[in-house]
Amino acid sequence: MEASFDFWTHLPAVIPELLLTVLAVVVLLLDLYGGKENRRNIAFVSAIGLAAIAVTPLIWGPSEQQVFWGGMVRYDLIAQIFKVMIIIGASITCLMAADDSEVGHKGEFYLIVIVATLGASLIAAAADLIMVFVGLETLSIPLYILAAFRRDDERSSESGMKYFLFGAFSSGVMLYGFSLLYGFTGETNIYTLSQAFPAAVADNPLPLIGALLMLLVGFGFKVSMVPFHFWTPDVYEGAPTPVTAYVSVASKAASFALLVRVLLAVFPVTLVIGQENLQTLWVNLVSVLAIVTMTIGNVLALRQTNIKRLLAYSSIAQAGYVLVGVAAMQSQSDYSVASVAFYLLMYTFTNLGAFAGVLIFSETTGSENIKDMGGLSRRNPWLALGMTIAILSLAGIPPAAGFFGKFYLFTAAVNANMVLLAIIAVLNAIVALYYYLIVIKVMYVDRSQYDSQSIALSRSTLWVIGLTSIAVLLLGTFGAQPFFDWAAQGAQALLAL
Amino acid sequence: MNVLNEWAFVGIFIAIAWVFPALPIIIARFFGPKKPNAIKLMTYESGVETVGDTWVQFKIQYYLYGLVFLIFDVEMVFLFPWAVAYNELNFFAFGAGLLFIFLLTDALIYAWRKNALEWS
Repeated sequence: MEASFDFWTHLPAVIPELLLTVLAVVVLLLDLYGGKENRRNIAFVSAIGLAAIAVTPLIWGPSEQQVFWGGMVRYDLIAQIFKVMIIIGASITCLMAADDSEVGHKGEFYLIVIVATLGASLIAAAADLIMVFVGLETLSIPLYILAAFRRDDERSSESGMKYFLFGAFSSGVMLYGFSLLYGFTGETNIYTLSQAFPAAVADNPLPLIGALLMLLVGFGFKVSMVPFHFWTPDVYEGAPTPVTAYVSVASKAASFALLVRVLLAVFPVTLVIGQENLQTLWVNLVSVLAIVTMTIGNVLALRQTNIKRLLAYSSIAQAGYVLVGVAAMQSQSDYSVASVAFYLLMYTFTNLGAFAGVLIFSETTGSENIKDMGGLSRRNPWLALGMTIAILSLAGIPPAAGFFGKFYLFTAAVNANMVLLAIIAVLNAIVALYYYLIVIKVMYVDRSQYDSQSIALSRSTLWVIGLTSIAVLLLGTFGAQPFFDWAAQGAQALLAL
Repeated sequence: MNVLNEWAFVGIFIAIAWVFPALPIIIARFFGPKKPNAIKLMTYESGVETVGDTWVQFKIQYYLYGLVFLIFDVEMVFLFPWAVAYNELNFFAFGAGLLFIFLLTDALIYAWRKNALEWS
């Protein structure tokens, strides 16, 4: 710590994290002293608290964009954008959980969600390998607990166990990658690592390639990239639905924020070690992984009969689309980073909407089969409409936000002269249309055994469905360009030192 | 100069590390006399013979105790340097330590109130 360390200049950089800690303590105390009958209100306290915290990164921050806390976290616009989407995602998750019969009345659930959010928002801004690891674990460990939250349910325990084993293993591999980077350079700061490389490894790119591969294993697991996706369907199916929703948006958004920052800062375009341009290497690698991830996700989704498993494979495929944007970062990185950020922003609302629909449906009928969703439009037209908007957005059909999300990503790929990659991505999007539209067809055309049973929307779920639908429609129409410009402005700040 | 050469001794070390423990075992197998009896074959040093089925469910309270113990064990590691350097700390470091203790106390109260410390 330098002598001139001024607490007050460093404080605003971590305001959301500090407030999240305070909220976690408040929720904990409410759970202890609030009484059993008030348990449900904890959901609303958490949701409103998180929503309020989500605004703070926008209104209060340090006056300049730089690294704070001894190089541990970086304050810049892109980190703030990711923090906002993560915390809003958590807020909607809490609101969604309020009416879940299994987790909604447990105060711990909200506490753990808040702690996970704390970790996620730390890694969105992490500028040091130590911080990256601490943040990732602060995010992951609560998620393992959340996945196994229904203690009496075997599927839930299994999903928690699988998630934990995969997660622990990939964390280990990633840590090994960190140790390689640190061992060769003696640096842990993401922004100074690349300058230390030439002196550290001379002309031999081998250690850096090893480190790069190991980092990709760790991040690949978090974003469910093929071939590290095997946990996704089981965890998504077994975990309580609000948890599934949370894992699919907040954890993924944070991990992509980290992936983008690490790849661009640690392996920049200028870095050439012994004729080997490391950026070309990871761009090629990520392109191939993007193609494999999209294709496998979409092909396996075609055969699913369980709606949560379908959304799991769909989220693998969506990760593949985002990887297209990551691969396109080789040239005009601003546009590509912005397209990734925009995609994740719209994906947050889209997937939360879709999972909220699934939650209400399975709460009422006890079934998660797609064919049992027959006649949903007659049982509750608003629910069916909300689901339809979310699914149209996942499929990328205007006026839902998914269209612009995919449009920006694929444009980024074309701008980076990766036309083939863009074409494969578009073909994949067409394959995906099939299984998304089947769900809509089932809801509006088919009939099922539950046809006469109407589904009631409680006030909180109505809020969730309404908010996410409006956000998706807004981002798909008037909101698209302003938010994309905002993200592009943030993307410029990513590398400006 | 190739930087990996500086690290080559790690590779050599790994190779030798395999040979070292393996050699005595192999030598013992070839040259040692073998006169096993029931007492010699019993488990020793790393535990005792099990009684009954080993696949029993342990009382879940063990884990809770273990977890609570671990929290305060780790707390020691963090608080020890804080306490040693106490005289030279500025206000911020002092406050950070207090905050840390507060959060842990919070967790202890939680565990207490939720009856995690009851053995029944």
